[in-house]
Amino acid sequence: MKLTDDPEVEEFRAEFSDFLDAHLPAEAEARERAGSSAHVPEWARRWQRTLFDAGWLLPGQPPEFGGRGATLPQQLAHLEELARRRIYHSFNPQGLGIIAASLITFGTEEQKRRWAVPILRAEITAALGMSEPEAGSDLASLRTRAVPAPDGFVVDGQKIWTSGAHDADVLLTFVRTDPDAPRHRGISALLIPTDTEGVERRPFGSIAAEDDLDFNEVFLTGVRVPRENLVGPLNEGWRVANGSLGHERTLLWLSYAERLEDLLRDSRDTGADQDWYATLRMDLTALRLLGYRQLGEDRDPAEISVLKLLGSEAVQSASLHALEAHGAEGLSHPVRTGPYRHMHHEHFISSWFERYARSFAGTIAGGTSEIQRNIIAERILGLPR
Amino acid sequence: MEFELDEEQRLLRRTVREAIAKVRGRPEAQQWDTYLRLGWLEAPPLELALILEELGYAADPTPFLATATWFAPLTGRLPTGSGTAVFDGAGRYVLDADRADEVAVLTTGGVVVVPGARLAAERVPALDPHLHLAHVDAGHADGAGDLVAEVPDLALLGLAATCVGACRRILDLVLDHVKQREQFGRPLGSFQAVKHKAADMHVAIERARALTHFCALTIAEDDPRRADAAHMAKAAAGECQRLVFRHGLQLFGAMGFTWENELQYYLKRAQACDLLLGSAAVHRKALLVP
Ligand SMILES: Cc1cc2nc3c(=O)[nH]c(=O)nc-3n(C[C@H](O)[C@H](O)[C@H](O)COP(=O)(O)OP(=O)(O)OC[C@H]3O[C@@H](n4cnc5c(N)ncnc54)[C@H](O)[C@@H]3O)c2cc1C
Repeated sequence: MKLTDDPEVEEFRAEFSDFLDAHLPAEAEARERAGSSAHVPEWARRWQRTLFDAGWLLPGQPPEFGGRGATLPQQLAHLEELARRRIYHSFNPQGLGIIAASLITFGTEEQKRRWAVPILRAEITAALGMSEPEAGSDLASLRTRAVPAPDGFVVDGQKIWTSGAHDADVLLTFVRTDPDAPRHRGISALLIPTDTEGVERRPFGSIAAEDDLDFNEVFLTGVRVPRENLVGPLNEGWRVANGSLGHERTLLWLSYAERLEDLLRDSRDTGADQDWYATLRMDLTALRLLGYRQLGEDRDPAEISVLKLLGSEAVQSASLHALEAHGAEGLSHPVRTGPYRHMHHEHFISSWFERYARSFAGTIAGGTSEIQRNIIAERILGLPR
Repeated sequence: MEFELDEEQRLLRRTVREAIAKVRGRPEAQQWDTYLRLGWLEAPPLELALILEELGYAADPTPFLATATWFAPLTGRLPTGSGTAVFDGAGRYVLDADRADEVAVLTTGGVVVVPGARLAAERVPALDPHLHLAHVDAGHADGAGDLVAEVPDLALLGLAATCVGACRRILDLVLDHVKQREQFGRPLGSFQAVKHKAADMHVAIERARALTHFCALTIAEDDPRRADAAHMAKAAAGECQRLVFRHGLQLFGAMGFTWENELQYYLKRAQACDLLLGSAAVHRKALLVP
């Protein structure tokens, strides 16, 4: 244990920082943020490609997947550097962090070439079709069915909460391929291009802003999917699903730390009380420390649940305090008072209600706080199921 | 920065655990001698935090905490036997003042060391039956002013680490209990309301512990954040204690409310660690606002 920074990591950070100084487009500098994948500005696509080509998109990956084989602490430094400047490096975080990453782990060479690389190069966009109306926390109860057809599958069912599906070219979808097998055993992962006949997407608004259309219902009716779109072995989709979320989760805590940092920075002049700052600072510091601990060797995947629970709930209570500190002023919302403009970062920053409302995404998405508590109790503390 | 215990530190923790287990229940003097022989009093801050966490876990009865983290940092040396320190002029609720060989008294003029026998110390009956607290007449001492500002970081670290250890013990006792005790035909630990409380206790402990280790690192490296880190550690440990006390006692049911249950020693030790040298509320106020 030591406070001093690893020189190799700091060298890496400095190199990335120099790269940003030289290449960051003015729009990104102005924090023109692609708030939802529905409204991807052209510069954002170009920017992601620039990062890919230079090996700065997913530095942990090898060069052919937009990286440079960086270590976990280096990957953290990369994300920290982006956060420090408030730069969003991708408009398709699920596509990048979950779907492409899963394809790199579980996909065939052909799937990597045809789907993973184009997602990373921002040529196409991907969305994650896990949740269903009857399968939320209990994901293994999913019912969307894929029955074998001559050279592939025919899929019928419905997905929901599929972030960015309306704008996506492909869905990584989890389907039931063996209805007679035990729940976790009969699931497979399929790539479904959204222009396939029988795929219907219906975007709907979220609590944050009615026109922030990111959520989708996806209806799948008689959708023919070729065999080569099966990701991983048949009926082993559960492994792919867990691997996918694993990718998302390793450095997930950092996004909570960033939000806490932002709240601290943006609330300085609000007259919020000292007591609140104390909690915020302790939560933020503890989250970072526990996150750094996950970079080491003897990490336990269940520990990610500690970080998710601590981080997402800290963001939620910090956002509430920030909202309260603003009193009635916290109710105003720039996007809601004029004609539609896509969510500019300044809008997000200037609406305390928006920030509070969005904080619930963290305690629900990717496994709710209740589910994290169950994981901690059962897998870390050894309580019976 | 690196935030994992290294091999040596993990090894130390194991050795400390084993050494404490071996002398448990023996006369206090023997336990004290063992700690001295193993050189624990001279341990640098992070190692000291690890030792104190284990001593908190065991509700250690010896004057180790006050000697290592009250007397030593104030005087810059170890006492000839055991030691403690008086931080306020009145000398109230001084840990181990009734039995320390030497007492460091913080005055506006500096630190004065007085032989313990020269101070009239009166042990105060405390809720924790193993805790030695005493009021002393510090005589010529005219008070040190702002209590929180004058207390060495190491003293706050010591209480925080001890508190975390006691909280860990409480959680372990609770886990053992809820795995065994059955109601409604199932172990209590299979009920989700119970699991969720246990999970929250775990998270509170991890949060406090991380801040405690951070505090130890800043002291060890004399980092400018050390005073701030000490307030965070002490405040987080106090908050952790509060949640762990409430859930810990509750999950034992009436059994937790009895004198016979050893749970009480850890609850009381943790609570004492919060109340001594400023509770969580005091240290939250002392934290810097960015
Ligand atoms: C912003 C956002 C983006 C999302 N994006 C995607 C996406 O792109 N793709 C996708 O597939 N899904 C996505 N989701 C869906 C998300 O994964 C689910 O919302 C989540 O898994 C919870 O499922 P649910 O909403 O059906 O809630 P439910 O499972 O119906 O739960 C409702 C409540 O009951 C509690 N509960 C449920 N089970 C238990 C239990 N066993 N013990 C105790 N309490 C329990 C929950 O904690 C919650 O409080 C997104 C969600 C959000 C909020």
